[in-house]
Amino acid sequence: MNNSRTDIQRLIGNTLRWGVTIASVIAIIGLVIYLLQHGNESVPDYAHFDASRPAFTHLEGILSGFAIGESYGIIQIGVIVLILTPILRVALSFFDFLRERDWLYALISAIVLATIFINSVTGFK
Amino acid sequence: MTIFTFTIILLFSAYLAGLLGSLTGFGGGIIIIPALTLLLGVDFQYAIGGALVASIATSSGSGSVYVREGITNIRLGIFLEIATALGAVVGALIAFWLNNNVIAVVFGIVLIFSAINQQMKKADHTDVVGSPLAKRLKLYGTFPQKDGTFQSYELTNVAGGFSLMTVAGALSGILGIGSGALKVLAMDTLMKVPFKVSTTTSNFMMGVTACASAVIYIQRGNIEPGIAAPVLLGVLAGAMTGARLLKRLDVRLLRRIFAVMIILVACNMIYNGLRGNF
Repeated sequence: MNNSRTDIQRLIGNTLRWGVTIASVIAIIGLVIYLLQHGNESVPDYAHFDASRPAFTHLEGILSGFAIGESYGIIQIGVIVLILTPILRVALSFFDFLRERDWLYALISAIVLATIFINSVTGFK
Repeated sequence: MTIFTFTIILLFSAYLAGLLGSLTGFGGGIIIIPALTLLLGVDFQYAIGGALVASIATSSGSGSVYVREGITNIRLGIFLEIATALGAVVGALIAFWLNNNVIAVVFGIVLIFSAINQQMKKADHTDVVGSPLAKRLKLYGTFPQKDGTFQSYELTNVAGGFSLMTVAGALSGILGIGSGALKVLAMDTLMKVPFKVSTTTSNFMMGVTACASAVIYIQRGNIEPGIAAPVLLGVLAGAMTGARLLKRLDVRLLRRIFAVMIILVACNMIYNGLRGNF
């Protein structure tokens, strides 16, 4: 019992660390390419919010950008890996609670996962 | 300004935000927002996206250590994440309709509250008699002491803590920050969770709370790659330096000075928000 508790703690801890590490490596690569591609251009107008740039707000846009080595796409893939890390952590807990036959907490983790999933699909726009 | 110069300035600011955030316990997200808006003149809508990235990164980065040491109460965290995740969704929806000036005023108030809360003495909560609901939800736990033994604890007022967590989640959703102060208040003051457990569990929850609104914000275009990458890398590097320094430095004086600075920044935010300058 105590052993399985330490196991899941180690698994969750490692997942978080690896997720952040992978996200950072992708972000570094993306940032270097971004600076090589666009470093000399002047800064976009960040003082005014512009929501109309589907190239890095939709998964297809991000993936196709990533596929052709476009820096925006690479950085956003890093951001998505970062976002997936805590979600993966809840999913791991979900399976661990199932394994322990702790139905109440399996349900609780499932509710958390469902909330995030519904958000990401609908996007509430 | 060229993108290159902007990126270097942002990397440096994010590094400082991560460093100070971890040394003072405020968290990186709460410092990156004034750095972006007041120093670099970035729109609040982008600053919130940057803060979300910073919050998720620091939560996962430092969370990995606490979870392995067994301090974090994983059941308590996941149970309360229902509240913060739902709150975060509501917050992200509200933020869409809020004017930047309103967001600035709300953020200023949260900053002042966090600074005051950080300066208050925390109780240790030994010998708490837990509530039947907390027991049924299996929220009682143990945490390791310095001498290697485990201290067990009970907790109470699950309903009160859960409600306040919804508010904390909503603020995270509006501002992109971890709302650590409010989370600790819910667990420490209402539920009587030991301080060490409530701070680490709050940090653990921050990642999921931020994700619940990040999946909305990224589709809305608030997470701008040119801001997200330097913020992510800078804040993480700063937080790592901070964690290393924290073992050797006495940060009490720094925390006090920083709390005053935070209140000054907060006043600036509220003033500019009320004047309609954002």
